[in-house]
Amino acid sequence: MDQPSNKIKFTLITLFIGTLIFFGLDLFLGSVHIPFHKIVSILFGHAPEKESWQIIIFQSRLPRAFSAVLCGSALSVCGLQMQTLFRNPLAGPYILGISSGAGLGVAIFIMGISFLGISATGINIPTNEGIIVASILGSLGVLAILLSVIKRLKDIMTVLILGIMIGSVITAIIGIIQYFSHDAQLKSFIMWTMGNLNAVTNDQLMLLTPIVFIGVTLSFIASKNLNAYLLGEAYAKSLGVNIKRSRIVIILITSVLTGSITAFCGPIGFIGIVVPHLARMLSNSSDHRILTPLTVLLGINILLISDIISQLPGLDQNLPLNSITSLIGIPFIIWIILKNKKIANLN
Amino acid sequence: MSKSINISALNIGYDKKNILTNINLTSNEGKMIGVFGRNGQGKSTLLKTISGLLPPISGQFYFDKINVLALSEKERAKLLSIVSTTQSGIGAITVKDYVAFGRFPYTNWLGINKAKDYQEINKAIELCKLQDFANRNYDELSDGEKQKVNIARAIAQNTPLIILDEPTVHLDLINKVEVFKLLKELVKTHNKTVIISTHQMEYALQICDEIWLINEGKVESLSPSEIIEKEKLTALFNDDLIHFDKASQSFRLK
Repeated sequence: MDQPSNKIKFTLITLFIGTLIFFGLDLFLGSVHIPFHKIVSILFGHAPEKESWQIIIFQSRLPRAFSAVLCGSALSVCGLQMQTLFRNPLAGPYILGISSGAGLGVAIFIMGISFLGISATGINIPTNEGIIVASILGSLGVLAILLSVIKRLKDIMTVLILGIMIGSVITAIIGIIQYFSHDAQLKSFIMWTMGNLNAVTNDQLMLLTPIVFIGVTLSFIASKNLNAYLLGEAYAKSLGVNIKRSRIVIILITSVLTGSITAFCGPIGFIGIVVPHLARMLSNSSDHRILTPLTVLLGINILLISDIISQLPGLDQNLPLNSITSLIGIPFIIWIILKNKKIANLN
Repeated sequence: MSKSINISALNIGYDKKNILTNINLTSNEGKMIGVFGRNGQGKSTLLKTISGLLPPISGQFYFDKINVLALSEKERAKLLSIVSTTQSGIGAITVKDYVAFGRFPYTNWLGINKAKDYQEINKAIELCKLQDFANRNYDELSDGEKQKVNIARAIAQNTPLIILDEPTVHLDLINKVEVFKLLKELVKTHNKTVIISTHQMEYALQICDEIWLINEGKVESLSPSEIIEKEKLTALFNDDLIHFDKASQSFRLK
């Protein structure tokens, strides 16, 4: 448990190399063909052959690939922490309605403010910061509701059903907000719900990068406590874990990560559930000190691959990223349920 | 030297609802203490409270002159460890790693074990005779084996006090006796204080030094011979179905 085995070291290195390869592929693929060596030379600051290439790389492809990295690491780590915290193998930010909560925050921010007769720019709220704060508050709200009832709901499936209910209620509320909002706002909101790494600007990345970096680092620091959670709360407490404090820290990390990612990339489903399971299967370990870095790297790889699929050659338009992650994720989740017969009795 | 136990004016329960009130127990010699009582009388509540898992409504618990309930989780984890019924579905954790959780209060932020920690882990594994399956997954073990692993984890935690809440539930006869004998050995040769709640009263009377008897909202401390002489167990069940036979020291059907 203390020294990662050679197999795990090898897996980590392979995934790191995978990250570099898929990052490169993500930069390379797109509707405009730019030779790979040109991309490298542009990245190293050499003058491009065509002006437009530099713009495509720096304004579109690089931010997009970086968003995939941030998104993949943040959502996967959130899923890992929530699965341990809720003692539920099917927990994740999307399925438990946390992403929906973030969506409600964003919907209120994008459309609701005008619904109240004020325009966001009119009252001078910086849009990026506003969206992120609204989104984080939304996810925090849903997590707080889930945690307040979780003590009474011992059964895993009940918690999931509750998460889906919360998601439906939120969809209904968003529907009402949409009904009253203007066309332009509606369109920007609908685009947002499809999950889109393309829309992330460099300004937003400057905001997102430190948040994700700090969140993922704190998640790693929380590994020791998360390990103790595996034995159940009573044993964790008897081993010296301050349950209340560590629970609040984990909730804050997951809400801030899910909220801020969802704010700019839209709701991206199922990465949070699937990746931690893949990490456990690859490492045959439940140790969060191993699982956290493994989950981060796997998440990055899978999101880069999903993003590459979403812009396969021959397509003028990008496919919605959320559809790709759902198509990859849902069969995997069904497989987890079928494989794990005791899943409903895990508590 | 055994460590003194002093519980004074302790009121326990959930959400301000008293389950047991004004508990006063003093023990200077009792090293292995059995807690007896019928279901729902408050055995678990009492043990959870003195373990620090459940806040008391009011009152004190001193162990070795230390105010246990005023300690932080971290400090308390070096003073007492707990064992309750086994759990399952904890994931891919080997027996050795499970026992290593006992070192949790002593390791750094990343939980890295040092030589001293490994020494304690190995000692606990040997004491509980777990060498043969140290590398197997905890989830794959039988209930009896799991419970021994749990006890080994508590031993690795190296606390002077171990509190066990019905650790022998679900175990077969031999496993039950093994657990009791192991606990007695901890008390005798490793100078631990053990508090154990159990329905295995016939064995506990043979092995415990002191019994806390919970009956009709009262907790009293008695020696095993007093329990037998005063026919406390027949009174505890107060039932037409069974009585406790003094001569054979066992329950008989009426």
